[in-house]
Amino acid sequence: MLALIYFIILAVIAVGGALCVLFARHPLYGALSLVVSMLSLAGIYGLLGSPFVGVVQVMVYAGAIMMLLTFVIMVLNGARDSRTPRFDKVSLFVFPAVIVLGGLLGVALVSTPFAFDAGTLRGSVALTSATLFDTEASGHGYFILFEAVGLLLLSAMVAAVLMAKRRLGTTDETEGGEN
Amino acid sequence: MMEIIESKHWIEWIITIAKFAFAFVPILFILLLIPMERRGAGFIQDRQGPNRSYIKIPYFGRIRLFGWVQNACDGTKLFFKEMFAPAGVNKWIYMLAPAIPFAIVLISPCVIPWFAPMVFEFGGQVIKIPGMTVDTEVGILLLFGLSSLSAYGAVLAGWASKSKFSLLGGLRTSAMTISYEVCLGLCLMGMLLLAGTFRIDEIIAWQDANVWGIVAQPVAFFCFLIAMIAETGRAPFDVAEGEPELVAGFHTEYGAMQFGLFYMGEYSHIGINSILVACLFLGGYSIPFVSMETVQSNLGISLGVLCGVCAVAVLAFLHLLYRYARWYKTCKASNKEVILREYSLYKILGWCAVVVFAVLGVLSAVFIHPEVQMVNGEAVYGIGVALGTALIQILVLLVKAVFFCWVWIWVRWTLPRFRYDHVMHLGWKILLNIAILNLVVTAIAAKLLGGN
Repeated sequence: MLALIYFIILAVIAVGGALCVLFARHPLYGALSLVVSMLSLAGIYGLLGSPFVGVVQVMVYAGAIMMLLTFVIMVLNGARDSRTPRFDKVSLFVFPAVIVLGGLLGVALVSTPFAFDAGTLRGSVALTSATLFDTEASGHGYFILFEAVGLLLLSAMVAAVLMAKRRLGTTDETEGGEN
Repeated sequence: MMEIIESKHWIEWIITIAKFAFAFVPILFILLLIPMERRGAGFIQDRQGPNRSYIKIPYFGRIRLFGWVQNACDGTKLFFKEMFAPAGVNKWIYMLAPAIPFAIVLISPCVIPWFAPMVFEFGGQVIKIPGMTVDTEVGILLLFGLSSLSAYGAVLAGWASKSKFSLLGGLRTSAMTISYEVCLGLCLMGMLLLAGTFRIDEIIAWQDANVWGIVAQPVAFFCFLIAMIAETGRAPFDVAEGEPELVAGFHTEYGAMQFGLFYMGEYSHIGINSILVACLFLGGYSIPFVSMETVQSNLGISLGVLCGVCAVAVLAFLHLLYRYARWYKTCKASNKEVILREYSLYKILGWCAVVVFAVLGVLSAVFIHPEVQMVNGEAVYGIGVALGTALIQILVLLVKAVFFCWVWIWVRWTLPRFRYDHVMHLGWKILLNIAILNLVVTAIAAKLLGGN
């Protein structure tokens, strides 16, 4: 009962934040609403018995990636940013996509049995690490995948640094991800 | 609802709720840190520091409390000043920004363990209470997540002020937070690897069983300390508010208590970080060379020793006072009568404190003999012993933390400021590499020596 109340509060904040991202006129407001949305998502993860995933969400997405995003927005801050129209040609593609995705999610939610026990741990530290790295239990699939994603991110970062260097001709110290 | 209330004994509920008071410890650190910083700066620069304001009381005259009155006056002034926003600022974000770091300061102490898990017997059942307010297995990660959020305060303040200096300050803050958080996390990983857990109380238990983190991970300790100082944005890393370049950085346009919130947020951040360093690398609440069982079985003597240490500290303070008083008597200062009058109050209070501590110490050593019960082969004591042990452990933790606070002040007033590109160079090209190397070496060594 208590978990349901918390869930409703967090879900309303998360959905509201997500809607604000869509309708915000200034990119910084959009970024801020995204942060709020992500924070309440982290709360929902914690409610689902995965505090580890929730905290990683706060640390990586809300803390690091959104900070980089606000950095970029502030660097590119122009006077015209505050007059960005709410709907433009891109919206023609965005809105059908959102509606289709919402429909798919709705169908998936309705068709799955809704049995939920808030007490069980689903994403604790031990469980997450065992799923990812314990090769005896879960095969080597996730392990190799994890390494591959790490390599991919590294190469993306190197490529970004190289591109920035070629364009500016000087070293850019602010480059680099949360990797 | 009822089953939640009945799941715990009432004494457990009381202590669990009382632990929320620990959220205010970083706020109390402000009261200690601001006078300590201003007088400490005076001490390092060979001057007096702000100590001119006084309270007038009968007979003893002007009581200045070593500069505390001055700081109280400054705080009161900030509190009652008009809140002023320049034209053209973004009102909502401008108002919201100073609250963010301060709100996070109130939440983040929830995962810090203040004492070892309490185990005591009450009303016929054995009760266990963890040392932190929120007993979660993600522990330190939560603390890091929250502290990475607190940079939003500075960034948003910089953006909302609509001033070029503020914007540059905000930009620098965000860049620096990101770069030094990477390093901070990597330095921490070595310690986490050795202890094999994210929980701070288990890390402390590991240090208690083996060696302190500063011995096991000396390189990580120094990198961690540097990155921590950089993350709080204080000199020598205060590029975000560098006075010679950016007026005052992100809080250029702020005044009154809005500035005060930034100021308080910074100091409480220092307090939390000091506690964290003490927990991770200096054994937290564990007392060197004395195990918790020894303390509990000889609680009377332990409390006696604690009172003795307090009495010696007061005696050292009195010694300082007497030396100053002797110097004032021979010098030609025009206000020496006033100062000697003021000192006589401190002397009376000091001697009273020494007597009280001595009597308390002797009494507790003579009269406190805890009764032990054996439950499932473990020695379990009553609630009084548990609270007494917790008191000793909290004091030990706070002493270690205050020492690190002094390191913060010491560094700030000793080293000159870095240039912005130097800070980035240090963060990305030196500290990060050292931290990664340290992590790799630790991992190999732990594997070879058969750790987890």
